[in-house]
Amino acid sequence: MRTASRGLPLLAAALAIAYPWLVPNYYLVYAGALTVMYAAMATSWNLLGGFTGYVSLGHSAFFGLGAYGTGLLVTRLDVPWALALPVSALLVTVFAVGVGVAAVRVRGASFVIVSIALVSMMNLVVQGWRSLTGGSTGLQVPSPFPDLHRGQTHMVFFHLFLVLLGLALLSWWYVSRSRFGAGLRAIREDEDKAESLGVPTAAYKVAAFALSALFVALAGGLYALWFGSLDPIFMFSILIGSYMVLMSLLGGVRHLYGPLLGALIVAPAGEYFLIALGETQVHLAATGVLLILVVLFMPEGILSRLTRRRPGPSIPEESAGQRLEGAAR
Amino acid sequence: MSEVLLALENVVAGYGRAAPVLRGLTVTVRAGEVVCLVGPNGAGKSTALKVASGLLTARSGRVLLSGKDVAGLSPQRLLGRGLAHVLQGHSVFREMTVAENVRLGGYTVRDQAVLNARIEAVKELFPVVAERWGSVAGLLSGGQQKQVEFARALMLEPAVVLLDEPSMGLDPRNTQIVFDQIDLMRGAGVAVLLVEQNARRALEMADVGCVLDLGRVHISGPARELAADPRLGRLYLGGVPSDRTAGDAARPRPPGPAF
Repeated sequence: MRTASRGLPLLAAALAIAYPWLVPNYYLVYAGALTVMYAAMATSWNLLGGFTGYVSLGHSAFFGLGAYGTGLLVTRLDVPWALALPVSALLVTVFAVGVGVAAVRVRGASFVIVSIALVSMMNLVVQGWRSLTGGSTGLQVPSPFPDLHRGQTHMVFFHLFLVLLGLALLSWWYVSRSRFGAGLRAIREDEDKAESLGVPTAAYKVAAFALSALFVALAGGLYALWFGSLDPIFMFSILIGSYMVLMSLLGGVRHLYGPLLGALIVAPAGEYFLIALGETQVHLAATGVLLILVVLFMPEGILSRLTRRRPGPSIPEESAGQRLEGAAR
Repeated sequence: MSEVLLALENVVAGYGRAAPVLRGLTVTVRAGEVVCLVGPNGAGKSTALKVASGLLTARSGRVLLSGKDVAGLSPQRLLGRGLAHVLQGHSVFREMTVAENVRLGGYTVRDQAVLNARIEAVKELFPVVAERWGSVAGLLSGGQQKQVEFARALMLEPAVVLLDEPSMGLDPRNTQIVFDQIDLMRGAGVAVLLVEQNARRALEMADVGCVLDLGRVHISGPARELAADPRLGRLYLGGVPSDRTAGDAARPRPPGPAF
């Protein structure tokens, strides 16, 4: 059993690395890269949502900021892309600390609304600041691999996103086994009780918020270098944030591989709808319907259904007969 | 006589702008002593515990922990100073395992060796904690959950433990187990301030009993003597304390809730 539980992830990782050479065309490599990107972002979102229970619909703000930060560093300051990417992500993380200090003061629906406000504000700022960002015209970012053709670029970015996914998974796994993770899970169950036991709830929530923003910002930066064209309407779209939530909930927020599983279902489904139905809004409606169905009927996600722990008897000490026997002795 | 670890002196406290619930409450708890607060609903028993643990700030009066005034300190700070509060009802982290719950009790302990030693100690004190170590806490019976809460509360080796209706919702057998565990805490030198609706049962095991009425101690004394005091029965059975006037008691109540 243990061998299987260790071997399966390794086998899956090997298959994932080999994926671009196993599929018959570059379109499927592109779709695979997109799926892995979403898997990395959903896993990163789950560092906040899964551990603390704080649902952010505004994580696309960090995706957009990571993308624009990388793009602006490369185009305006001629910073090499390999440096621009982490610098931009770190700046976004610092920004997320500031936002987090204010945002995590409120809980539940109020936090969701604050997160939506964040992404809307970022969209307005980037669209309005035309001299820097190009406004609604967008920002063009030169390809870091000009000698490669489009298909080969998809292959490179597929693997870069895979590395990012690996880092996000590793972080989630590490946090889940740490004292920090135990504190975060206590916050999810009962924040006041956690506070009374000495868990520094405010600091932990901000740390989870910022850590979660870091990987999403890196995904945004990679996306900017991959696509080369940034449109603020798409980059700061609430839909991207909703995808992260949907993927995590569908797969299971309490599990390491939950968001990855969700991404493996939702991202290809989105691509399928787009190909089958063209540029209609059907895929958006389908996303909304799926989100409602998941919240109503499977809030714990697929993996929780599959790995549900057998509770065992809750009062297992002894049967009534045994007790009577004991009393008679 | 052992040292006074917790003292509430002339405490006046209440919620919001409403009339105070505690109106000059004075209670002391010594090391290795169980003091039981009993009284009718609304007498201020749980409020007294909340004031002692910092969940509610007293409007006036003093809260002394080991002789130092701690009024106004947060529950977290008081926990660090050796005062733990086990709340009414079940307050385990239901989705976490027993192990995780107990470890959270020692969250502020950084030294792993110290933490492990304390875990072993509470496992010994509460065998069910050791038996169900890997189980999800929310799946345990009410009595078992209560023991997990006790174990969690003792992880910081508190000098004073406040227990708010620990037998609430438990069958007689589990109630007995819970009272046995309180006895063990006393044996370990912990000062216990206990609030119980199961008054006679609690007074049988406590050292000192205090009957609260209208936010102050109405009768107090050795718990076993108090358990036999006919005034206790009268108070619970709708009788009136002697310091209320006969006129107050005879006056018909207006329709509607009593408070």
